[in-house]
This record gives sequence, C-alpha cells and structure tokens, in this order.
Amino acid sequence: MRVPLSWLRDYVEVELEADRLAERLTLLGMEVKAVERWGADWRSVVVGELLEVRPHPNADRLSLTRVTVGGETLDIVCGATNIAAGQRVPVALPGAMLPGGRAIERTEKMGVVSNGMLCSGDELGLTSDAEGILILPADTPVGAGLMDLYGDVVLDVDVKPNRGDALCLVGLAREVGAATGAPLRFPDCTVDEGSDPIDALLAVEVEDPALCSRFVGRHVSGVAVGPSPDLVQMRLMAAGMRPVSNVVDASNYVMLELGKPIHTFDAAAVTDGRIIVRLAHPGERLETLDHVDRELTGDTLLIADPAGPLAIAGVMGGASSEVSGVTRDVVIESAIFDPVSIRRTAFRYALRSEASLRFEKGQEDRLARLGADRTARLIVEWAGGTAAIGRIDTAPDEPTQARVAFRPSRVDRLLGASLRSDEQQALLARVGIATEPAPAGTLVPIASSPEPLSVTAGEGEALLAVVPTWRRDISVEADLAEEVARVRGYELVPSLTPDTAMPSYLPDPLAMRHAVREALAGAGLTEVVTHALVAPAADDRFGPLDDGPVPPGEAPARGQRITVTNPLSREHSVLRRSLVGSLLDVVGTNLRHGRSNVAVFEIGKGYGRDEAGIREWWRLGLALAGAARPAFWADEGRAFDLDDAKGLLELIGRSIGAGRTAYAPLHDARDLHPGRSARIRLGESTAPTLVGRVGELHPDAIEALGLRTDRVIVAEVAVSGLTEGVPRPVVALPPPRYPAVERDLAIVVPEATPAGEVMETVGAAAGPLLVGQRLFDIYRGAPLAAGDKSLAVHLEFRSAERTLTEDEVETIVAGILASLGQRGWSIRT
Amino acid sequence: MDRSELTARLDALRDATMAEAAEATDVATLEAVGVEVLGKKGRLTEVLRGIGALAPEDRPVVGAAANAVREAIEAALDERRGELRSAELETRLAAEAVDVTAPGRPVARGSLHPVGETMRAIAEVFGRFGFTVFESPEVEDDVRNFQMLNIPPDHPARDLWDTLYVDEPGYLLRTHTSPGQIEVMHRERPPIRALLPGRCFRYEAVDASHGFEFFQVEGLMVDEGTTLADLKGLLDEFAHAMFGADRPTRFRPGYYPFTEPSVAFDVECVVCDGVGCPACSRSGWMTILGAGMVHPVVLRYGGLDPELYQGFAFGMGVERIANLRHAVGDLRLYLENDLRFLEQFR
Repeated sequence: MRVPLSWLRDYVEVELEADRLAERLTLLGMEVKAVERWGADWRSVVVGELLEVRPHPNADRLSLTRVTVGGETLDIVCGATNIAAGQRVPVALPGAMLPGGRAIERTEKMGVVSNGMLCSGDELGLTSDAEGILILPADTPVGAGLMDLYGDVVLDVDVKPNRGDALCLVGLAREVGAATGAPLRFPDCTVDEGSDPIDALLAVEVEDPALCSRFVGRHVSGVAVGPSPDLVQMRLMAAGMRPVSNVVDASNYVMLELGKPIHTFDAAAVTDGRIIVRLAHPGERLETLDHVDRELTGDTLLIADPAGPLAIAGVMGGASSEVSGVTRDVVIESAIFDPVSIRRTAFRYALRSEASLRFEKGQEDRLARLGADRTARLIVEWAGGTAAIGRIDTAPDEPTQARVAFRPSRVDRLLGASLRSDEQQALLARVGIATEPAPAGTLVPIASSPEPLSVTAGEGEALLAVVPTWRRDISVEADLAEEVARVRGYELVPSLTPDTAMPSYLPDPLAMRHAVREALAGAGLTEVVTHALVAPAADDRFGPLDDGPVPPGEAPARGQRITVTNPLSREHSVLRRSLVGSLLDVVGTNLRHGRSNVAVFEIGKGYGRDEAGIREWWRLGLALAGAARPAFWADEGRAFDLDDAKGLLELIGRSIGAGRTAYAPLHDARDLHPGRSARIRLGESTAPTLVGRVGELHPDAIEALGLRTDRVIVAEVAVSGLTEGVPRPVVALPPPRYPAVERDLAIVVPEATPAGEVMETVGAAAGPLLVGQRLFDIYRGAPLAAGDKSLAVHLEFRSAERTLTEDEVETIVAGILASLGQRGWSIRT
Repeated sequence: MDRSELTARLDALRDATMAEAAEATDVATLEAVGVEVLGKKGRLTEVLRGIGALAPEDRPVVGAAANAVREAIEAALDERRGELRSAELETRLAAEAVDVTAPGRPVARGSLHPVGETMRAIAEVFGRFGFTVFESPEVEDDVRNFQMLNIPPDHPARDLWDTLYVDEPGYLLRTHTSPGQIEVMHRERPPIRALLPGRCFRYEAVDASHGFEFFQVEGLMVDEGTTLADLKGLLDEFAHAMFGADRPTRFRPGYYPFTEPSVAFDVECVVCDGVGCPACSRSGWMTILGAGMVHPVVLRYGGLDPELYQGFAFGMGVERIANLRHAVGDLRLYLENDLRFLEQFR
C-alpha cells in the first residue's frame, strides 16, 4: 500500500520525520518496505507565470509564450491550447530532468528558440492529463521549486493479510496514532442531500444474503463528469492509481481512504432503477470494463438489473453501465460480499484487483454505510449534482463490538513478561481496545479450530477486551497477547537463553548423508544440488531405477511419476525419479563452459506414487567425465573410466562397513553401454548396504544429450542409512600377531568369464584363512590360446591364532586349484 | 729371512697398499685392495708367514711392526673410503637434482555444496541448544501444508505461498518446512526442540532473490514455559554465531497464520553495517527469518493441549543465510551448479 504522507496527514497529525515514522510503523508490525521521495525527479522545474501567449509565426499548432519564473523572463514554445496569460504553470528549465529520464534542453522549434518547457500533469507524473498544461492555483508562488510545493514522501507499507482494516489511509492513521498517541481525524461523511427520496430512484434486492450481507446504495443526479481537481489527481497518482474522472476517482479515493471498495454505475443503464444481487445463470454473458466478453459461471455473484448482469460483484464492473462523459445520474454501490466467494471469483476470471483484494480480507460492516456516504459527498463536491435523500440499505442494523476475554497472567506467560493488568489495559487502549472486568465463569477463547476451544477463567483472572469493529483479526486470547506485545514494542521483550528442560538425546538423521558427502568430497568430487522438478523427457529416459531389494530402512524407487498441474515451465514440470538426468545436465553445462573434467555427486530424493500413496526415496548419484587426472609435467593424464566409479562406490561401501562386493553385468540397461555397466551390490544379500547400478553412458545417449565428451560414467545407488542412519562405530581388531603367507596365482580362463566369478570361486574354495585377494593383472596374448585371458591374483593367508605352516597353505592352494580345475580353468606357471 | 728383511717387506707392502688405495677411484676397487692385502689369504698374511722362521726374540718386534702396518693400511683404507663415499654421494645428489620451482602434483579435493553446508552450520548452532534434526515429506497434502497450520481453504493469507499442485488429488509440493511442526508434535512429546531442514517449492518466477525450489530450516520448541523471550534469546544467539557476536539484531512484529504473536527477525545489514545501502533497501536491516509463538490451533492439530503447552517456531531461507555468509548476491547460483562457482567452497 502506497501512502503519500501529505494525504495521511489529513487523518492524523504526523510530527515524526519520514524515516523515523517508517521505523515506528515497522516496529509496530506495519512494515515499511520503502520510503520514496515523490517528486525527487522534478529537478529544475519551477512555477512560472505566463506573461504573454501568442501564435507561433511558423506553426499553427504551436504558441509562443513569455514566462516569468521570478526575476528571469523566458521565451518558451508550447503546443498546448489550454494556456492564457496570467496563469501559473510548471516550467521545466533547460537542464531539467523529468520522470522517465527525459532531459529538457534549450532547443529551436520551427525557427524560434525555446528556453525550456511548460509541463502537463502527465509529463510530471502528477496527474493523468496529457493534453493540457497543468494550471496551478493562482496563489502559487512564482519561482518556487515544484518539488518544494508538491514533493511528498510516499511510504510503501506491506500490510499483512490479517490486517485488511489497515489497507487504507485511515487504518494506517490509526496505527500512527497507536505509535504516537495522536488522535484520528475521521473523514467527513455527511452528505448534503437534495429533495428527492432515494426510494423513488433505486431499489435493491439481495437474493442470497449469505453472499452479500449488506448492500448500501446512494443516488446522485445531475453530475458533470470531468477531470478531478488537480490535488485529487496528484494524491491518486502518488498512491499508484491513475485518475479517470471525478466520479470514478471519488470511488477510488474512498477505497484508498477508508479501505472500502465502491462501485459507481451510470444510473441510466440500470433498468427500472432496480438492482438485483444474485448468482449468474449458467451461460449468461457480460462484457466487463476491460472490454472482454465473459461467459459467467453459475457460482459468480452478480450485480444485475431486471435486464441482465451489470457487474461481477466485488471484482469488476460491466462496460454497459460504466460511468462516462455522458453520464448524468450515478448509482453508488457500497456492499459487503462474502470474502471466499470474491476470492474464488477473482481467481476464476484472473481479475484480482485492488477492490477484490480488500473484499477477500473481509470488510467491516459499518464501512458499507460510511463508504456510500463519503463517496456521495465527494461526487457532489467534485462533479456537482444532487444526492437523493437517504440510502438504500439491505441490512441497516450494525453489529456491536465483539468482546474477547483474556487473562493478563496468560499473556505474561506467553510473552515471558511480567506486566500488570493495568499496564496491559493501557497498551490495548492505544489501539482502541477498551477493557472491562470479566464476570466469574467467563469463557476465554483459546482456539477456533479444529473445533472451538475455550477455558473458564478463574475469579478475577480475566478481562474482557472490547474489540473495535474494524479489527476482525482479534478473536482469541493469543491475538490480544500480540496486541499487547506489539504496542509495547518487541524491542522491550527480554532476550533470554532458554533454561527449560532439555529433550532426551536423538540421533541426527543426516549423519550418514554427511559421512558419505565427506567421503566423496575427500575423494575429489564436487557436490551439486539440482532441481527435483525436471522435464518429462528426462524422467522418461532415466527413471525410476529399480535394482532389486534395497538396504533395510531405505525406500525402493518405485511408482508412477508425479506431475505438477500448474508448472512454471515444461522444463520443470515433473518430480524426478532418478538423479542421473539431473547430473548429466550438470555434466553437459560444465563441459559447455569448457571444463576438461567433471566429477560430481548428489544425495537427493526420487519421488513416485503407487497404490500405497506418495513415495520418496533417497539416493546417491554420481557422474564422472573427462580427466580423472590432468596431465602433469611429471605424469601422463588419464581419463575417468568405469573403474573410477566402482572404486568410489567401494570406498563408500568400506566407509559404511559393507562386506562383500558383487558386480553383475548389466547388458540391457537403456542408455548404458551394454559392455560397460553393472549392477552393484555390497554387503550380504539379506542385508545389503549399497545397491544400484554403475556404468558408462551409451554413445547414443551421449549424442542424444549433446554432451561434449566421449565417455561419461554414471552411478545411482541406494545406500544403507541415507534416509536416517548414523554411521556405526568401527569394530577395531588388534594388529595381526602372526605373519601372513602370500601366494600369486595366474588363472587362465576364457575371455567371456567374468573376473568376479573367478575371484568368488577362489574365495569359496580357500575358506576363512584367505584374508585378502587382489586382482593385479589381466594378460592376453602369447603363449595363451586366442580367446583366453590370464587373471593374476595375489592371495594373502593368515590365521589369528598361529603361524600358518607351508604345508597348510599348500593344502589350501591345492584345494583352490582343484576347484578351478573343476570349472575347466587352468593355472599358468 | 731375517728380521730386517721382513720388516722391509712389511714397509714395502704398506707403502704399496697405501699407494693403491690412493689410486682407487671407487669404493669397490678400494674394497678389493683391502681384501687382497688384509684378507685371510692376503698379502699381509703371506708376509707374516715368515715370522715363524725368525728367532724367538725377534718375533714380538716384527709382530708389533706388522700390527702397525695393518693399522696404517686400515686407516688409509678408511680415509680413502670416506673420501670416495662422499664423492659418490655428491655425484648422485648432483645427478638427482630436480627443478624445485616446478609446481607440485595436483591432489584432487572436492567440495561440498554451500546449501548443504549452510544447513549443517545452522543445525550446529541450534544443536548447541539441544535441537535435533527431523525431516518430513516434500510432497504434502493441503491439510498438513495449510489447514493444520491455521490456513483454511480460500484464506487470503494463502497469497503468501504461491503453490505448485500435483496430479494426486489434494496433494501439493510443500511451500515451506512448517508442516514438519505437525509431524514432530505427533512423534515427540514435550519438551520438544526440533530442527527441520529441507527442500521447498513455490510457484515463483526465478530472479536473483527467488526460485521455485529453495531450502528452508524450520525450528520448533515446545514446553510448558517456553516464551517469546526465549525465542528472542535463542535467535540472538543464532545471529551472533552466524554473523558475529557484536552484530545488532531487531525483533519486530510479523505475520504468519500459524504463529501468534508473530515475529520478523532482522540483523543489521552485513553489507553496510546499518548505514543503509541497496542490499538492505536503505533500511540498515536485513530480515533473516520469520518466527512466533506457535498458534494454539497448530498445537491442537499437533495433539498438544494449548493450555498446558506453549512454544515457538521459526523458519529461515537457507540460500538467504548462505548469501549473507558468503557475500553472494544471486541465489540462482546455488542450483546452476557451475563448478567454477561451487569449487570455491573447498
């Protein structure tokens, strides 16, 4: 809400300097977002008096003027026709800068030098009149700077949704009064009425009082529609509203002043002078003020007449009944509508306006009457005409002030303060809340939902707050606690370190995620955080990756995808089911930046839904591309390959205490290289600790995604404890006391035989004394037969109880050889 | 052979050997000389065989002379050995010299994302005050995201959260971490001190200070006597931990439907130190979080009796805190994942 200070001063004395006022309002809960110096851009614009106006010798449409600006006399060429000698007008001197950055220079116009410019209200941003020069009052001092005369300070106040009553100058004047103690000057709402009773001119029928609890109508006849007084236009402009005409401006002025949206109709367009407030009939149409022909839905509340719709109630008027230059008689509508109905209607037609915003927040009932009267008064004042006697009022009985009981002791307990009840009463009085003693047994309202809850106050414990009718936000005890606190000033709340009981210890559900993050960052990867919302195509391609039973405590990646029904863009319209697509985006972007290497990981969620409901699952994803090791003067560089990714996953496995490592070839994964991808499963099959897949991206996918690289390695895995686990403490053993016996074997197998299978066979045959097995070479070529390869493994045998003898080890190795022989594999010696 | 002849031979052997030692140019040659002369079958042993033929009274004299020769040879060998070794070492060291001014071998060190690290830093501060981390779902229903937080359908306050809805009826992407308050109250009994970090979503056009995905940290403390003063004290501690012990703070009224009274919490602008600059809209203050006393309606939906229990909640934007900590001016940088940006956080 934009608040011109000069206008605010109509309703309350403001002695504070603008910045200080802004701070006080902010500390009261009316946050001032900005303090704008209105008119700061009228540099070198001064008041001049026209001495002479005569035709331009060379141009019919221009005039030559002589203007005094106090001392100096200037010749200025002007194109407007509303000027005459003796008038006082704004003069932009050479060097002036007008709103919008328009610079004024000494120029030559059709052979005559012009030493500046006479300004219209529009050029100055003061009024909406772009046709004529702004004619200033005759007593305006010549030579004065326009900024000194019309400059203002405009506060931009962020009025919160619960304080619809403060979305107007009078409401904010009340807040200023709460801060400074200055009394409110309520605007004059008396109307000089003519002789015709309104009943003869206007009838109103409300079909559904639940949707329109009160309709107040007034009638003004014989108006002369034209521009509003300049001062009014200036105020509306400063407040951010464009002046339209004196009648329409009167309704907007009242909305800004009292917070009451008002609508004015051309009375000639109201058939039979009868207004009917009703729901639209299905299929009914209305051309609204913005000249859009709209088909109305059956839940749209209308202002209608016997002939059909006139306006969408509370949202937008109709074109046919718009007040225009030919309007003679005006009907004023000042009504109270159901906030929910207005909000829904405004959303439905995408027509949220200053008016609908105020209706949505709920309106003080009394304003229906005050708004109608005030508008009638201003129309008569600005547009002439005669107000009919009285008003049409469908519900003239105004509700009394609500009484809300509260316990000062409970307010103290909430605030951590020790205020006496008379202190609390005095604070409440500053915002117009009177207090009365509460009789014994008074119910103190605590909460209104899920169902009303109140408690019975003890003897002398409670007070009754008499809530002003405009404060619709105060209904329970806690609301009064806030009023006490904010009027007193939050700066006076003491700052205490909590000393109440501590909760018992709970583990940190992020501990495992942090451990994995640390491990991968330590291994050289960069952590990324990508969008959970992705393009449908990305989700089609990569998700969800279901790789069988997940570690206990982790959620399976399963289900249909979840689509946003009102996305900002298609690029971010579905919730991802895999991290891989997002990571490849990161790879692509960074390669395009000219990076030679990208090594990234993310711990993030996948999302899906099935018959069990919404599912969310945590996964670790990683992507590697480019140089694993950059070329260095002493070393050759090396590109990332599948084994880097496997090594990283094994590192995670070790750091979470996974036992066995098992890879199974994955030949048919879409987007993965059929010969370079695998399922990975670490730990025991009944309780795996890391499960997922790792592989090189298929060359087709690299091309489809436009990645500027030959190879990208990706992995996505479920890891035990990602959801809410804590790394288990290491179970540490003393260093071995007995020496190890080591053996190397070179095992010859067919090319197609996976190394994993060979090592498993060795491990199974060796038994528990084999404590380490390391594949250290794979050899192909002579003297091996074509199609064979030799796997060289280093074996380490050790007992925790004794030194192994050569004989024992030879026996085990013999067993291994026998087992390998059974598979048809031989040993190279 | 007589004594003088033998002595002469010893002297000759000594002189010859010392000459040979002096001529040796490497340790191996020198050791060979040593073995040839002093070894079991060496030339000295050979000379000493002649002692048996001497008169008994001459034997000790020649024996002593032989020992002196042995010692002299050994000393010469030792000396020469030392010379040769240092020469060899010098040669090796000279050969091994490298260009020490060339840069060292790069060691890969990754980095952790500033959003995650900021959340961890926030959790660490509140952890000192007994707060534990909890989490709640990101796909929520309207009831938990709004209604249980005292925001009924069609409430004008819904304008504060532009919402992304999903194709599961009644569900949406959580607009804030606040539904976690309900989750925690259902899981734990007071005293409660909970922290809820996580991803949130809003229907919001992206600019330097807004995104449709962002991260929040919610806090909740509930007990019988938890007050607004406790909230202020805790937030002061937090601001001082994050932005310096002498950073002024400001506690002022705010508005949230799920708190009453509601609070906005400011710190003095970290850019201009309160003077007023574009970063703080010339106010000298920066709002870092919203807070307030948990509304009785919310306590009831959490299953707690608002007559017995009271407490506070707060919520902050993680990117906002990260911006202030790292002097970053545009929160789009966090989700762009340009490694040139991220790698600075090492």
